Parts: sequence; C-alpha cells; structure tokens
Amino acid sequence: MQRNVLKRNNVKVLGHGTQPMLFAHGFGCDQNMWRFVVPAFVDDYRVVLFDYVGSGHSDLGAYDAKRYSTLGGYAEDVLEVCHALDLNDVIFVGHSVSSMIGVLAAIQEPARFAHLILVGPSPRYINEAAYVGGFERSDIEELLDTMDKNYIGWANFLAPAIMKNPDRPELSAELAESFCSTDPAIARRFAEATFYADNRADLPKVRTPSLILQCADDIIAPTAVGEYVHHQLADSTLHLMQATGHCPHMSHPAETIEAIKSYLSKVGAGAQVEVANQ
Amino acid sequence: MDELLDRAPCGFISFGDDGTVRDVNSTLLEMIGGSRETVVGRPFEALLTISSRIFYQTHFFPLLRLQGSVEELFVTLRCAASKEDVAVLVNAAARKQEGGVIYDCALMRLRERRKWEDEILRSKRAAEEANQAKSGLISMMSHDLRTPIGAIGGYCDLLMMGIRGQLNDAQLADVERIKKASEYLLGLIEDVLNFARVNAGQIENLDIKPLSTAAILTQTETLIGPRIEQAGINYRREACAESVKIVADPDRLQQILLNLLTNAVKFTATGGKVTVTCEARGDRTLIHVADTGRGIPEDQLERIFEPFVQVNSDGASKKGFGLGLAISRELARRMNGDLKAESTLGRGSTFTLTLPAPDSSSHK
Repeated sequence: MQRNVLKRNNVKVLGHGTQPMLFAHGFGCDQNMWRFVVPAFVDDYRVVLFDYVGSGHSDLGAYDAKRYSTLGGYAEDVLEVCHALDLNDVIFVGHSVSSMIGVLAAIQEPARFAHLILVGPSPRYINEAAYVGGFERSDIEELLDTMDKNYIGWANFLAPAIMKNPDRPELSAELAESFCSTDPAIARRFAEATFYADNRADLPKVRTPSLILQCADDIIAPTAVGEYVHHQLADSTLHLMQATGHCPHMSHPAETIEAIKSYLSKVGAGAQVEVANQ
Repeated sequence: MDELLDRAPCGFISFGDDGTVRDVNSTLLEMIGGSRETVVGRPFEALLTISSRIFYQTHFFPLLRLQGSVEELFVTLRCAASKEDVAVLVNAAARKQEGGVIYDCALMRLRERRKWEDEILRSKRAAEEANQAKSGLISMMSHDLRTPIGAIGGYCDLLMMGIRGQLNDAQLADVERIKKASEYLLGLIEDVLNFARVNAGQIENLDIKPLSTAAILTQTETLIGPRIEQAGINYRREACAESVKIVADPDRLQQILLNLLTNAVKFTATGGKVTVTCEARGDRTLIHVADTGRGIPEDQLERIFEPFVQVNSDGASKKGFGLGLAISRELARRMNGDLKAESTLGRGSTFTLTLPAPDSSSHK
C-alpha cells in the first residue's frame, strides 16, 4: 500500500531537515510548479512533492471518477501520502485549490498538521448572495469551453515537452519532461470539482494555524476572498503580497519564499494580521 | 517595433515576467479596438476574457514559465469596440533580456475556424450526453425491465404447475403463450445488454484456450436441437473431427455458434437444410454454417453485421433487434478471429467463423 501510494502519486522526497514540508500543486499543473521555491527549503526541511492522481506523472490507472468528483477525494490523496511516509508535524503548502484540499485534510486528521500555508485560497469561486467569490457560473462554464477547445486542438498538451527554460540553461534539450500533462476528461472533472466546490462551512472547523498568501490583482482568488478566508480560519495570518496574479511561487518566487520563511520563523506567535509590502 | 512586425498579419505582444505588457503591434490593437496607451504598461491578462484569465493563470502562465514556450493555446480577448470577444490561437516564447525575461506572443485570429470548433464541441457534448442516455437505458433494461419480465415467467411456471388450482386446457395454452412471450422479451433484452457490453469493451476476462470444435458443436446442438426439429430443418455436421481444434473462449464461441445456427433456422423454410462444416486452413480453423434459405442481397452482406439491421430478400419483417451478428462478429474479433458471410439469392447463405488454430502465433 505504502509503495503503491508513493508510485501512484509520483511522490518525491528531498531535503536534509526533519520536519516535513508537503507541497501540493494546484489545478492545471503538477509538482513542477514548485521548482522555483523548493530549493530554498531543502536545507532545513524534509520536502515532499507529489502529483494528485490524474495530474502530472501520477498513475492514471488509479483514477476513480467518483472519488475525485469532489475535493474530498484529493484530500484522501494528501492523507494517504502522509500515511505512506508516516509524516507528522507537517507544514502543508497548498496552491489555489490545494489550499482547500489541505483544509479538508487538516480537519480530518488535525494531529498530523503543524501549519497550513495557503497560497491564493478560495473556498467558493462562484458569487452567491452577499458572498463575492469572483465569478458567475457562466464564467466557469466558459472556462470549461476554453479547456475543451484547447484539448481539441492542442495535441502538445498531452505530449512531453522539451525543456526550454531560460532560467535553467543547465537543463539540456535532451531532458524531456511532461508539464501539466493530463487526460482531458480528468482535467475537466478536476476543474468542475474545483470551481463548483463550496468549502465555506469547512473553514471554521480548522484548528491548525495557517498563513494565507494573498496576491494583488488575483482574478482567481481576489483579495476580498483572502480576507474572508482569514476571518473564517481561526489562528490564521493574512499576508498581502506585492506579487500579482495567482501563481506567486512561479512569478515572484523570492517574495513567496521570504513570506513563508518569515511566517515559519514566527511559528507559535498566534493569530495576527500582517499587512506587508504596501 | 519595426514596420514589418507592426503591420504583420497576426497580432504580436510581449510582456515581462510580472505580466506587464512591454510592446504590442498595430494588428493586435486593431483586433481588440484598443490603443497602445491603454495596453502597454498594463497586465497582459487584463486583455483576456474572464474565462481565459482563469485559463491563463492555471495553464498558460505556468506552462510558459516552466517550458519557456507554449503553442496553439486557444484564448479569447476582450474587444473594446464591440461586445463580441476575439478568439485567437497563441504561440509564445521566452526571450532573455537584460533585467529579466520577456515573453513574446504571436496571436492568430480565429473566425470561420472558431465556428467549426464550436460545432465540434457541441457535437462532442451531444455525443457524450447521448452516451450517458444510452448507459441509462441499458441500466434501465438491465434492472427495471428484466426483473419484472422474469417475474412474469416465474408466475407462469407457478400457474402451469397448478399451484393456484388446476388450469383447463385453454387457460394452460394461454399461460404457455404468456411464458413464451416473456422468454422472447428476455432474449431481446439479453441481446441489447450483450451488445452494450461488447460495444463498451466490457467483455473482459476471456478464457481463450485450445478447444475441441466437435465438443463445442455438440454442446451447441443440444441447445438448438429442439428448435431445429420444430422448424422441420434437415441439420448436418460435416468434417468436424475430434482432431480439429480451435482457440477461443468456450462460452463466447458457443454464443457465436448458437447465434449463427439460430439465424440459419430462422431464415430457412421447413424442409430446408442447415449444414455445419469445419475446416483447418493453415494457422486458422474455419467453421462454416450454411443454410438453404432465401439468401441475402450481395450489397447487404456487410450491413447485416451492423447493429439493429435486419435484411430480408423479400422485405418481410423478422423477429428480433438485429444485434446477434453484430455481437458475434465483435466477439470473434476480440478472440483474434473474424466472421464473414457469403450468399446467393434464392439458394442460401454461408457464414464463416474464422479463429486461430492452437499453434497459431496470433493466439494471445
């Protein structure tokens, strides 16, 4: 079972520290998206990377449409990786939808998690009454259309791409990697599980201390949503970043690293609102 | 920007690692009805529709950042001049520059192509919905129809056994008719379910092994014998010695043979002949089922293997859904074989089932 989970979720363990730092990717990509921030933590932590079943290099044969029709199924992946590696006192770092997946995992097994670091979290993407999630249902339907059209015409999406990363010239063109590769049907279901989810009622159940990294001008998780999450999560810290967009760990890795390190150095300081870089 | 790039027949835009637009060509500005002042210095994603902004954040940007390039991404741009958005295909590549990375994007507008892609998408979704409806129907047939029809047959048996009192001859004849009709209905449902299973690739765990052709034929004849006798058909088996072996799943082979013999009997008039002949030919074993029925028009010989197709030379309707041959051919192919038909109008038809012989290398 343990070995199966490690293979199933393409788990990679790096680093020289003892406290586990579990990085969970968001919708649309895989563990590769952490490559710009992970090196900053390998000296001090036991870094664990994985792909959700259906993403990246996970075992697509293990995909169960029913299990992964809700974020709860993805939270099971997180917990099973924790069980397989016997991880405790975990610092969970989740991007986007993985923030809520981490929330669900921490509610289910609070004793395993020391801290949740939530990058661009949103418990509900669709506007509803007084709650402003940022999107109308029709926006999400158009997103699904856009994804479908890209899958129709975009054979490259499924094929391994040759690395042409200008930031890492040491990686030769011979190194072929598959970024964000996924099965179109699985990607669509993941999108539906993500963007139609409503985890607002789960937030008050969390007892694990958390850091919310909120980007400026983030269309997917607007600042008002970050503030909502902060108010609903007990013992949470809201950090407003200068970084714009939804992927600060890719667009502004230095600022992201600094924000996480700064929080971790203050671990145990309790709930606070830290408005930085304004 | 030089004039060639500025007036190129495709949009061009470049933005930095933070997403801020550094330059844009006139072609793109015309596409979106914008001015250089309203685009340069603003985030690239601000040009996109909401759904494409999500796609940009979840796919476009991560891929561009990781791979250094992306190709053929479909996104839609907001157009200041009209309510219609502008669909484009984007190719983008990273370029190192002093002080960071610049992403250059070429955008090709989609007009007619977009209509067709919308149509493909609609058709794809309609097909998926139809497939779901089919699954629902199969499930309904499997449970909601088969169960009560089984109950009808069961209660007929009870009545015929006299559990509710002795039936007179007329009542008994009626109940027997009800029983036969229910069996017929069950047969139809089994055909549809079988076809659905084969079609959905759900015929798994085939136990493919060398078998005695004669033994399988004997078992099949036991099942079809009463019907042959009742129809007044002369049945003969030729050249099927014990030594003629065939590689197949025994249950599926029997299913195919039963179907071929049932068809032969169904389409052959009283007094006609049905002959089964075995033939070892190289690494294959052939079983021919020949009848002296009315035959099938030559141009219909392939159509009869399509689902829900029944062809009669006289145009007369026949019982059943026309699924048996479709199922049989698919099963034969799953067992590395095939099923074909030959026919002469007015003289009869021959169906030939070909399957591997035991020493065939194609036996998997």
